[in-house]
Amino acid sequence: MTLLKGSVAMPRDNDSAFLLDKHKRGLQNLDRMARYPLDETVDMLIVGAGAGGGVLAQRLARAGWRVVVLERGPFWDPDRDWVSDEKGSSGLYWTENRIISGNDPIQMGKNNSGVGVGGSMTHFAGYTPRLHPSDFETRTRDGVGVDWPISYWELQESFERVERELPVAGEFWPWGDPHGYPHGPHPVAGAASVAWQGARNHGIEMRVGPVAITNGVFGNRPHCIYRGFCLEGCKVNAKASPLITHFPDAVERGCEIRADSMATRVEVDDATGRISGVTYMTDGKERFQRAAAVAVCGYAIETPRLLLNSACPRHPNGLGNNDDQVGRYVMVQGATQTAARFPEMLRMYKAPPPEISSEQFYETDERRGFARGFSIQTISPMPIGWAEHVLAEGHWGQGLREYMRDYNHWTVLGILAEFLPQPENRVTLADVKDANGMPVAHFNYNMCENDHAIVDFASDILDKIWDGARAQDTLTIDRYAHLVGGARMGFSPDDSVVDSNHRVWGVDNLFVVDGAVLPTQGAANPALVIMALADRCAGLLAKKRAA
Amino acid sequence: MNVEEARPDPHDLPKQRAGITPQMVGRYPTYDVLSQTSHWDETTRRVVLDRVENVPPIEFFTEGEALTLDAFCNIVTAQDSEPRIAVLNYIDEKLQRGERDGWRFFDMPDDDELWRLVARGLDEEARHHAHDSFADAPVETQVGIVHRFSKADLHGGVWEQVNLSRAFSVVMRYVAQAFYGHPWAWNEIGFGGPAYPRGYGAFGSPHLGEEESWEADESAHYDPVRDVRQRGLD
Repeated sequence: MTLLKGSVAMPRDNDSAFLLDKHKRGLQNLDRMARYPLDETVDMLIVGAGAGGGVLAQRLARAGWRVVVLERGPFWDPDRDWVSDEKGSSGLYWTENRIISGNDPIQMGKNNSGVGVGGSMTHFAGYTPRLHPSDFETRTRDGVGVDWPISYWELQESFERVERELPVAGEFWPWGDPHGYPHGPHPVAGAASVAWQGARNHGIEMRVGPVAITNGVFGNRPHCIYRGFCLEGCKVNAKASPLITHFPDAVERGCEIRADSMATRVEVDDATGRISGVTYMTDGKERFQRAAAVAVCGYAIETPRLLLNSACPRHPNGLGNNDDQVGRYVMVQGATQTAARFPEMLRMYKAPPPEISSEQFYETDERRGFARGFSIQTISPMPIGWAEHVLAEGHWGQGLREYMRDYNHWTVLGILAEFLPQPENRVTLADVKDANGMPVAHFNYNMCENDHAIVDFASDILDKIWDGARAQDTLTIDRYAHLVGGARMGFSPDDSVVDSNHRVWGVDNLFVVDGAVLPTQGAANPALVIMALADRCAGLLAKKRAA
Repeated sequence: MNVEEARPDPHDLPKQRAGITPQMVGRYPTYDVLSQTSHWDETTRRVVLDRVENVPPIEFFTEGEALTLDAFCNIVTAQDSEPRIAVLNYIDEKLQRGERDGWRFFDMPDDDELWRLVARGLDEEARHHAHDSFADAPVETQVGIVHRFSKADLHGGVWEQVNLSRAFSVVMRYVAQAFYGHPWAWNEIGFGGPAYPRGYGAFGSPHLGEEESWEADESAHYDPVRDVRQRGLD
């Protein structure tokens, strides 16, 4: 695939990379951005400017729709707002209060939640794997989870289209539906090459990528400079997020983005039963924007929260919730990390944390005693992240200081284990309210037996890899990553919140287009999947409107 | 853990010769990340230098709470002499601004209330040892109390109001952010610090001797897994 490196396949229907400036990181066309009056009924009002909302906005604006996007957080200018510093990047995370509970309470914030234009992709590591064809029919194949109402093949073109737009760099991918990538593999740094050697010694295949980080010519977006701060927001514009991959083009095509605007209710016209628009708070004031259709793209926590908080006489339990489905089947992935110590200095903070990965254990193998599987990926925490490893081991005082002084000798591998969807892993409204008087989300999580079995097996594999690499010592911490589900796509109102076209059951002009719709999650990082779903949904909407 | 082990100079680590580290020890005696500020973008430079040059005043905590928690922060980061990173000042600033990390356990109070509870609990515990407050107790008593806090082994009074292991993990998260977000700690551990717009060229195989011209060598290293265990620092 190296022949393709940085050369071909610029996207045909997205000029974002050319609308940016080579030497400035923020959007250059904001002075031309459309402004729609509140009482004008826009064609589509999107709540949330992340992976789902970003792609949907750009596609519909291209198709001639009048689109407004409401975003809770700021309109980032990376030159002005972002720093090449771990502690100074906390503004990128959704840090407002959320209540967590259950046997396995899930930490939020920097772990899985973003705020501002670009959503959590501004601080995602950069991995952009596809789902496997098997992910869409786990019930039929493996007797667990649930089947999707669509197949992999209905998303295949969307995967390809989005991979060209980000663009994704990596080696030819042998797992799932085998495919190549528009940009070739990035060079592998010292820390990751140690892991690769260990994997090879145990017969485990790894590949470079797939990451949404430029590795060649791509419009006005610079090449990666390997500074390693992917989780702190890419000040280079090399790593993809909708802020730079979709919103420049959306703005150019007449989309308005209203930053610092927190949607509090989706409103229903009692007479017709149709959605009339969205109430939101901006600058301490309440506003109402009229819309012919609304797409909620707030992700697995905020989407259920908004739907539940929009209860009204016609929908007393919240929108789409007549059958008590909203907020259920939220999923995280098991993301146990094992760090390994080597005599040589590895300086793992250099180069992007996402470097090499393996999907060798992705599919069900009955001999292992559990259904579904996991992937393996490199992860390279900065000092504060590394301190969290050391603290989890119970060290403080001199023990903490000494482990931390040894930072440059360590490197880290992590797993992404497919946890199964369960109805009681859910988002509800808490008694506590936020500054706008809106109840905050309460997120309860319990792992099931199959989840535990995958994590145990996968942790052993990580130990084997480090053993194969001749690590002197290892440290393991159990943690969780990503969020999907909560408003899942399904076959009927009693098993889901939206249909296969993302339309909320029972509400004609309301859609959910984000990670909340995933019925299962595979062992893949969700960003590309969410974007591909939004691409497909936009195609269906535009076609219907043209007809 | 005893007082001897709480001292900051294990294995005669070299004195820092360039720049500052907490207690002037570290593994990279000739490395000063602050000598590289001309290579940082202006936005980052302002934010990072501000941490060094403008230590925020204590505004959130009362005087008494601050004395207690300052002593606590020094114990959990093994800072027994100057120069010290003013850990509590950065924690105070974060709480004063109302910044949080984005979640709260259903059975825990809000973080600001938790910090005040911890201050009260540490003082109550010190009084059980016949000292007026945690800050007035000798270091070995302070270390003993923190040790039991870390093992969720404190009882009575305010400790009955919170889940102790969660409480310890919440406060230590704040401590780690304050301490390892500071450039003096980066000198101690040999971290490269901000890297925009320069980036890295030498990120390949370190055993080939590949490093950036401005990086310093490590003067000594011990595998902490064995060393910390041997010296009973767990």
